[in-house]
Amino acid sequence: MPEHDPEQELGPKISSAFQNKADASELTGSGMAREARRRVRKRRQTLTMAAAAAVVAIAIGGVWSAVGNEVPTASNASDSGAKRAAGSGTAPGLSSPGILPNKEDAACPLDHPIFKAGGYNTIAPGTGLDLAAPVTGLQACRYRLTPDTTGLLGQERFNGEVAQQVVDAIKVLPERNASLPVFKCTPQTAQPSEAIVLRFDTADGVREVWVEYDGCDSAGFFTGTHTYGLFSAPLKLFMVGDVRPTGGTFLSALGDW
Amino acid sequence: MEAALAAAEARTSPIEFELWVTEKADALLRFAYVLTGDKALAEDAVQDALTTACARWSRVSRADDPEAYVKRMVVNAHISWWRRFRRREAPSPDPIRTTPSASDGATARAESDAVWALCATLPDKQRAAVVLRFYEELSYAEIGVLLHCAEATARSHVHRALAALKTTLSKEGAEDA
Repeated sequence: MPEHDPEQELGPKISSAFQNKADASELTGSGMAREARRRVRKRRQTLTMAAAAAVVAIAIGGVWSAVGNEVPTASNASDSGAKRAAGSGTAPGLSSPGILPNKEDAACPLDHPIFKAGGYNTIAPGTGLDLAAPVTGLQACRYRLTPDTTGLLGQERFNGEVAQQVVDAIKVLPERNASLPVFKCTPQTAQPSEAIVLRFDTADGVREVWVEYDGCDSAGFFTGTHTYGLFSAPLKLFMVGDVRPTGGTFLSALGDW
Repeated sequence: MEAALAAAEARTSPIEFELWVTEKADALLRFAYVLTGDKALAEDAVQDALTTACARWSRVSRADDPEAYVKRMVVNAHISWWRRFRRREAPSPDPIRTTPSASDGATARAESDAVWALCATLPDKQRAAVVLRFYEELSYAEIGVLLHCAEATARSHVHRALAALKTTLSKEGAEDA
């Protein structure tokens, strides 16, 4: 009786058993990407908070040491240290000045009109931002526009100072950036795979600016009544964290975003 | 035409994490389930791996095969659990058949269940080696890399597991007869 190779004898049975069990497992991965992003954000916030806590501890230690040593010049040093620790105006635990924690009640809408807009630069009347109006805050929402898989890719909230900086950087721009390439392409490739909606807090409520940087049809900042060319200066202010795209046709051409 | 091609290339070169996860998550979960034998552990392992991948996505997405890269993270997570809970686990000295044998001993479903149950009793590294060999169809060299051991050790893991399974199945077959 010849001795069988166990691998040849049992391999197919094991392979089949694994496949059957895997097929019957009914595990689905919906929501895993969002959860991964949430965990990454939380990890980064924790790290930043730890760093901030270390800075505060060092500042307090400096004050304690200065008071303990009764050095005449120590009071000035401690004052400046305390001011640095408490008066920066930046929320604790945040990686960049001006970025605020996302608020549940001010979160980006999961189903946004940009999915259904006739053109990805067609803002409904009355919802676009008047760039002359003062703004008090900004929620940047990055959406995937690929047909059948539209959705929210990321969001970041900024304080009033950054919001106003973004508006000021946009309103001085010309209607188009002449240095960007002009493409001739099919309707399929013209369609952007993603875009960012800037939702500004104003006295009249939330007003939007749509930012288009992908596809090969058009690029820029769209308010519904005005179009501003795509330049890197405003992009650098809000394309951070979860709303920083990994790429885009016109971003590649722009280079320094 | 060139511009259109350049545009298309610029659009597709960065793989979007969310899109990639939408496409691959189910396959990753199935792999993790076969590897761990437990749905909750599988979900945890995949979620941990995806979180790590998300944090360094620019690097992962440039890998030749991002799916293999993430699967490697899943295997590493599993091995790390094995290390963490090694003391708590009390592996049985020999595989034990935990499901009743089919009355005729020949139906594919019953055989699958029996093999699955027997594999569940294998030590974690042996099981991982068996999964990588027969579910992922990797070579022993590739298994060695994933399990951080020599090719010969990977081969040994698989052969010991097969020997244990064969002995148990033969014993059970004799008892059934």
